[in-house]
Amino acid sequence: MRFPDLLAMSVNNLRRRKLRTALTVLGVIVGTASIVVMVSLGIGMSEMQMELMESYGSMTAINVYCDTYSQPEGGAEPVYMTDETIEQIRRMDHVEGVSPILNVSVVMRQGQYTATYVNLMGVTEDYMKQITVGEGDYPKMDGSQVELLFGNMVIQDFSTGRQGSSYYETGELPDVDLLGQPMFVIYDVDAYYQSMNSGSSGSGGDGTTPVKPPKKYLVPVSGIVAGGTDDYNQYSWGVYTDLEALKTQLKQVFKKNPIPGQPVNKKGKPYNYFIYSNAEVYVDDMDHVKEVQTAISDMGFQASSNSDWLEQNQKQSQMTQMVLGGIGAVSLFVAAIGIANTMMMSIYERTKEIGVMKVLGCDMGDIRNMFLMESGFIGLMGGVAGLALSYGLSYLMNHLPAVNQMVMGGMEGDISRIPLWLAGSALVFAVVVGMAAGFFPAVRAMKLSPLAAIRNE
Amino acid sequence: MTETTEKKESPIIQVKNLYKVYRVGETKVFALNGVSFSLNKGEFCAVVGPSGSGKSTLLNMMAGLEKPSKGEIIIAGTHIEKMTEKELVTFRRQNVGFIFQSYNLIKTMNAVENVAMPLSFRGVPKKIRVEKAKKYLKLVGLEKQMDHMANEMSGGQQQRVGIARALVMDPRIIFADEPTGNLDSKTTMDVLQLMRRIVRERKQTLIMVTHDNYLAGFADKQIHIVDGKILKIEEKQHEDEEEQN
Repeated sequence: MRFPDLLAMSVNNLRRRKLRTALTVLGVIVGTASIVVMVSLGIGMSEMQMELMESYGSMTAINVYCDTYSQPEGGAEPVYMTDETIEQIRRMDHVEGVSPILNVSVVMRQGQYTATYVNLMGVTEDYMKQITVGEGDYPKMDGSQVELLFGNMVIQDFSTGRQGSSYYETGELPDVDLLGQPMFVIYDVDAYYQSMNSGSSGSGGDGTTPVKPPKKYLVPVSGIVAGGTDDYNQYSWGVYTDLEALKTQLKQVFKKNPIPGQPVNKKGKPYNYFIYSNAEVYVDDMDHVKEVQTAISDMGFQASSNSDWLEQNQKQSQMTQMVLGGIGAVSLFVAAIGIANTMMMSIYERTKEIGVMKVLGCDMGDIRNMFLMESGFIGLMGGVAGLALSYGLSYLMNHLPAVNQMVMGGMEGDISRIPLWLAGSALVFAVVVGMAAGFFPAVRAMKLSPLAAIRNE
Repeated sequence: MTETTEKKESPIIQVKNLYKVYRVGETKVFALNGVSFSLNKGEFCAVVGPSGSGKSTLLNMMAGLEKPSKGEIIIAGTHIEKMTEKELVTFRRQNVGFIFQSYNLIKTMNAVENVAMPLSFRGVPKKIRVEKAKKYLKLVGLEKQMDHMANEMSGGQQQRVGIARALVMDPRIIFADEPTGNLDSKTTMDVLQLMRRIVRERKQTLIMVTHDNYLAGFADKQIHIVDGKILKIEEKQHEDEEEQN
């Protein structure tokens, strides 16, 4: 038989018993909608988590640490992260960029306001590219001069030093104009604190000589990281500058003296090159993060990435999705029983008709396919209507403020998301379930004896 | 009869030593007990016998609806007793038309659709199907009832649709199981003469089962069956009636 003829026959049979077909379809609608809505909730949750995580940092970045204090004892050469290591990492497969982070704690000053323990980070262009600048521009990256890119929350650190005047106590932002007014940086913080202490404790009652305050440098500010003063992102608390420029500057400030934070060799002398405590590696794709991370770990460094806990998270959200989908699947299963029941009824009703068709030479396969198509059609109709219902429910969940508040506790974003693959597979699934439920009735119909048709009632 | 020689060379149906045994509890019931005969192409054959004689069983086995317990059925040179169910369906689709006692029209279809249905089993496109169905409905005299549903027609009309449905396949053999059993005597005569006329014109073989000796008298050959055995085979010529029509 031709496919259109089979289809026409199946549809006609369904139309013959409209109410029964409608009720069976209703079962499938409920089943499909419950699966789709449940899974869409699972997807919504995991995607929201993902978005939350992305705000903590890129998914393709790997953080590399080198603990300079816990190096192997004895004669073994310590494993330090140097420019050479960075080059080595840069040459790895899938690595798009790498930036060592030269971290120095500095004091910044503008007018009466001072910020202590500010994290000044020397980075390369690869790192700088990841940052979105709000006001101003990126600092110059040609190594000629230290220019600062302020994290959008660093301004909270500035205070006048008086008791109870800091931002944390007053909740008022200090009157610091990062871009407009000149900014001074004190690199030699040890000397700074010593001078502060001696200054406050009067004229050396304990016999220490007052220390001369260290030199402060006027440093231009090029820009501020995008975001308000309390929109956190991973760049909010740092001050960024060009690595090479910072290196030159530090050498100039400390001359032969050890630079704070830099390790010394066994004789207590500083190395004549810079050693980085951490670096950031950018990988071309999320799928390769693990691979690169392992390679870096093998070099003797500690590497971590967001994908570490992303993986864990994904497993967890997969579980959630499966549990939710499972709950939905139960109702589709019930619907499948309904389909099987309807098909059985239909076959009993049409025993004679099926027999006549067999006597007249209708292929057994055609009879089976006709019934399979009927049950598949029930599945399809239920699937389509169920999907429409799911989209409606999903819209309600995402847009009714009451539901939103209850389910998500006021988090931003859509809680229920129906991606195209979910919609598509729900349809396919509904049809497959329909056909599977109709399979045994269909085979039964196929095997009916044609003699039933001949028997005269 | 001019084709006598040809007929003798190749009978279209040969039944040899056919047995059908049913088990009813402990006892065996012989529905057919060693039946042999042969039929030629273009013959109108009536299988006559009282109810329970095994005549319907014989018809069912020739149409491939039942399997014989023993014996051979050769139709157009093929042994159908060895065929699988699937092969039998194909065989019926290609060679056999069937007319039922209770018409067995599909109630949700109109006359044209009912007649066209067997053609759809062969994969004939709809347009050709409908054309052919209309042609055969005209042949059985139902020009005006083409769009009627099955239950909107009288018994005689329904059986005419049934005949058209059997003819539309252009089968070599037509089986009719008590085709007039549910009709009144006037309609019976109409239907019977219609069947005989068409079959004769088209040189098709018609095998009709009936319990009525009078109706069997219209056939070229009568096979009388009693208790699963052939009592006698009568052959008759019907030259006179043909002139009447």
